[in-house]
Amino acid sequence: MTEASTPAPDDGRVEVTIDGRVTRAPRGQLVLDAAAAVGVHIPIYCAHPKMDPVAVCRMCLVQVEKMPKLQPACATYVSEGMVVQTQTVPVAKAREGVLEFLLLNHPLDCPVCDRGGECDLQDFTLRYGPETSRMPITDKVHFDKAVPLSDKIELDQERCILCWRCTRYYEEITGEKEIVLQERGVHTSVATFDSRPLRSAFQGNLPEICPVGALTHRQYRFVARPWDLQRARSVCPECSYGCNINIDSREYEVKRFASRDNPLVDDMWLCDRGRYSAPRWNRTDRVRRPVVRAQGGDQEVSAQNAVREAGRRLREVRDQHGANAIGVIGSVECTNEEAWLLQRLAREAIGTTHLDHQLDPFPGLSPEEHALGIAEIEDCSAVVVLGARPEQQAPVLTLRLFKAQRKRGTAVHRLPVDVDGATLRGITGGRLVGVIADEVDRPQAAHVAQLLAGGNTEVRRLTVTRGVNGRGCKDLGLLPNLLPGYRPAPGAGRCGTEILEATGAGQVRALVIMGSHPWAAAAGVLLTGALNAADLVVAIETQPGPVAQAATVLIPGHTHVEKAGTVTNLEGRVQRIRQALPPATTVPTELRVLSMLAAELGCERWPAETVAVDREVSATLPAYAVAGNGGRTRWPVPVP
Amino acid sequence: MAEYKLLTKDIGVEGLQTLPVYERRGGYQALRAALRDRTPDEIVEQVKISGLRGRGGAGFPTGTKWSFLPRDVFPRYLCINADESEPGCFKDRYLIDENPHQLIEGIVIAAYALQVKHAFLYIRGEYHDQRLLLERCVEEARAAGYIGERILGSDFGCDVIVHGGAGAYICGEETALIDSLEGFRGQPRLKPPFPAVKGLYGKPTVVNNVETLSNLPHILSRGGEWFKAIGTERSTGTRVWCCSGHIERPGCYEMELGRPIRELFEEHCGGMWRGRSLKAFQPGGGSMQVLLPDHLDLPLDMDAVMRAGSSLGAGAMMFMDETTCLVNVSMRLVDFYHHESCGKCAPCREGTYFESQLMHRLEAGVATLDELDTLKDICANMDGKCFCPLGDTATWFVMSAYRHFRHEFEAHCGAGGCPVAREHRPLPAGAAR
Repeated sequence: MTEASTPAPDDGRVEVTIDGRVTRAPRGQLVLDAAAAVGVHIPIYCAHPKMDPVAVCRMCLVQVEKMPKLQPACATYVSEGMVVQTQTVPVAKAREGVLEFLLLNHPLDCPVCDRGGECDLQDFTLRYGPETSRMPITDKVHFDKAVPLSDKIELDQERCILCWRCTRYYEEITGEKEIVLQERGVHTSVATFDSRPLRSAFQGNLPEICPVGALTHRQYRFVARPWDLQRARSVCPECSYGCNINIDSREYEVKRFASRDNPLVDDMWLCDRGRYSAPRWNRTDRVRRPVVRAQGGDQEVSAQNAVREAGRRLREVRDQHGANAIGVIGSVECTNEEAWLLQRLAREAIGTTHLDHQLDPFPGLSPEEHALGIAEIEDCSAVVVLGARPEQQAPVLTLRLFKAQRKRGTAVHRLPVDVDGATLRGITGGRLVGVIADEVDRPQAAHVAQLLAGGNTEVRRLTVTRGVNGRGCKDLGLLPNLLPGYRPAPGAGRCGTEILEATGAGQVRALVIMGSHPWAAAAGVLLTGALNAADLVVAIETQPGPVAQAATVLIPGHTHVEKAGTVTNLEGRVQRIRQALPPATTVPTELRVLSMLAAELGCERWPAETVAVDREVSATLPAYAVAGNGGRTRWPVPVP
Repeated sequence: MAEYKLLTKDIGVEGLQTLPVYERRGGYQALRAALRDRTPDEIVEQVKISGLRGRGGAGFPTGTKWSFLPRDVFPRYLCINADESEPGCFKDRYLIDENPHQLIEGIVIAAYALQVKHAFLYIRGEYHDQRLLLERCVEEARAAGYIGERILGSDFGCDVIVHGGAGAYICGEETALIDSLEGFRGQPRLKPPFPAVKGLYGKPTVVNNVETLSNLPHILSRGGEWFKAIGTERSTGTRVWCCSGHIERPGCYEMELGRPIRELFEEHCGGMWRGRSLKAFQPGGGSMQVLLPDHLDLPLDMDAVMRAGSSLGAGAMMFMDETTCLVNVSMRLVDFYHHESCGKCAPCREGTYFESQLMHRLEAGVATLDELDTLKDICANMDGKCFCPLGDTATWFVMSAYRHFRHEFEAHCGAGGCPVAREHRPLPAGAAR
């Protein structure tokens, strides 16, 4: 037992008392964060968890013992023995005073404001603000109400409370410096320099960091009230980076994608490509009913009958031409559960070696390829980005690189893919060096990593995979050459392109296609030729297209926002997506359909629910025990 | 007690603004001696001993400020604050106009003491003529070897850069001055880090006022102990007082600290004009609290005036006669702060606007007594809540005027006009009231 009088060992923490709650807060922590840690809420406008303090709004003033004036909690650091009060009369008076000032020239727009209902100014006014206005005159300072800052963002200058978050966002998060403050005093307003339109690829974050309704999405302007929205926690479907999002929908339509902070992945920022892709999930041209095409014409059937027919016809092909006359192609939009069942269907129920989820061949995987985690970029002394592709494919990567550069002094080298050895030798290594490359540049990345390694330098690679779940499809063996867990597959399987070629040449007689739209356009005439030549096409499709049109048995599929499951991002993080919209079809989920089809092919009792499939995946692949928990899976791991 | 004139001693000598005349009057001897005989640390020590306090308004001991610089971080910078924008304040302009080389000598001494290679003289935009004069004097001094590499054959080199501001009051605040100097919007920075640790271009920086640095040649030539003997114990030396308002002889007068304000008022300023009587006066410039005739016997001592509820600030003295309406003066000052608020923090940006609206209603005689309470309350909501002291001071004069002349404020409520003006400035016959 330690005596009370002996000083506590220096654990990098200091004792702070906030509203009577004693806590040991890490040295260098802001009072604001220390208070939040003990459950004391302090209202803020200018402070932002991802940005440096500026202390301009004065909303967070608190009483600190031995300090004559109230101190801004957002810019005051904890110190040993500090006593903070947030519930005293002077603090309450200061909050009320600041709110009165902020509301002085704020328009009474709440009933028509996009932000109404999720507005900090509204919320804090209700909690801490004055009841009425004391301004004896109605003459507020007026500004422009609808200033287009770009084709994506519209600014209401009157609603702005000048918290500096947008200007700091451009300085500290993207480094682009596109927004400025103009004029001074009460006439200060936010604008772009010289009224030039914003060009950033990350503008969509602005309305989200705006504490009021000043910066608005043009796509979402006057579209919905926050309290009418239904929210589903999901993952952005646009690329393999795996940014966490909230899908906000109303009346069977996705209204917007909102960010959901995951410090390990997106750090709460989304790119415009991902965020503004939301309306594409509201397409009305969908495959809605199962169809069986026979000589006598198309026939709408029940899902059970469609699956039964598909099973019967697949058995016929297998009996006549052998199992390898059937090719199976999924897509990068399959969830892990779908990919798992689809590869089981191909290998176990059908017995074919021809299965893939993409067109191009995928020659193996080396353990180093996915070693670097997104958040670990900040720990690197230097990062080499090969070519423009990684940042084109996964734009939010740019923000992480800038953060590492700004906060941790990471040297970011953007080099051509065919970079020469002399340039690489010029990069002074540190303890940890990152190499980031696109999936197609993996051989070059391996070469670069080899050149950079040596001495005390550890090189870790990060590979940008394609599609929301390209990584998961590979991990789970939806590949001709690899079994789940990257074990080599027996037999000579054909990749996507080869399956289509072989179909066109008559070697493959039947195709099972699930979600062709990510690759259909790239396959072009190859696909048309294959569809024409095939005896049988069983397709699970969401949208009309060449595959849906040619399918012998067509079963409606579910889109990213209509299904639940897990997807794996480029660093191997397994994250859960949840159903945001009711499906456009009454057909059961793909998992159920695959399991029914397997039963038709003689494999009974397959799992058909997400959780059950997850359990099966984790049991087979311990690395996937993190499934759905947001943890990272790493390869290779010993497979029992 | 001897009458001391230091900074203004030579003023009036023909051609003092030129180098030869300044040198003939003993100019640059202090710098020469300092470079030859003293180490930088010895100079800092002398300044500390002298008890010199900053003349820009806050009155912080100069030597202490200098000693906050981290010892081994270079480069460091010296900024000279000539952004004199306080209402009623014009001493820096006077010192620059009349004796520019005294300032330049002070700058180079300070630069040597602090081991600074670049000193930036930030002068407010409106002081156009003074900027040209300083630029000419810097060139003169450079040609004579007082500025540049190897000054006077020593190992020390320093450049002085004259930079004109764009005329913003806020740029007199040291961190806003630094922001402006770096080419940004002139707005105060978050402290800490203080400029002494992280200032101009992220390096240790000292910001000193024109008058403060003009004292250095005198301290150095005669020693810190000698300087310390002038004035009071905690307010040493002399100060140049900018006297304005309803007095017979407005102007700048140098006086030892510690002498009564009455002496300044009666002997130098010649008392009230036209035989009128003193109603109130404001020491320290537009920011500071109003004082009453009773306070004339206060000594010119920073602490004593502070105890009386005001401050000597930047050394301005504004005297008001009995025809002055304190509501009107408050309104004019509030308008100034409303106009000059930089807009960074909410209480100052919106509060000065609110204050100004209310003061205009009050002066026009249309405000109610409730609005007077509102005025008082918003001042309380601003004072101590703003980002920088400039927002806080926007309330000080109004609040002190309200405290001392409450009847006058209340008389304005619903009066339909200014009652003081009605009494003292009668309208021409026949004009409607």
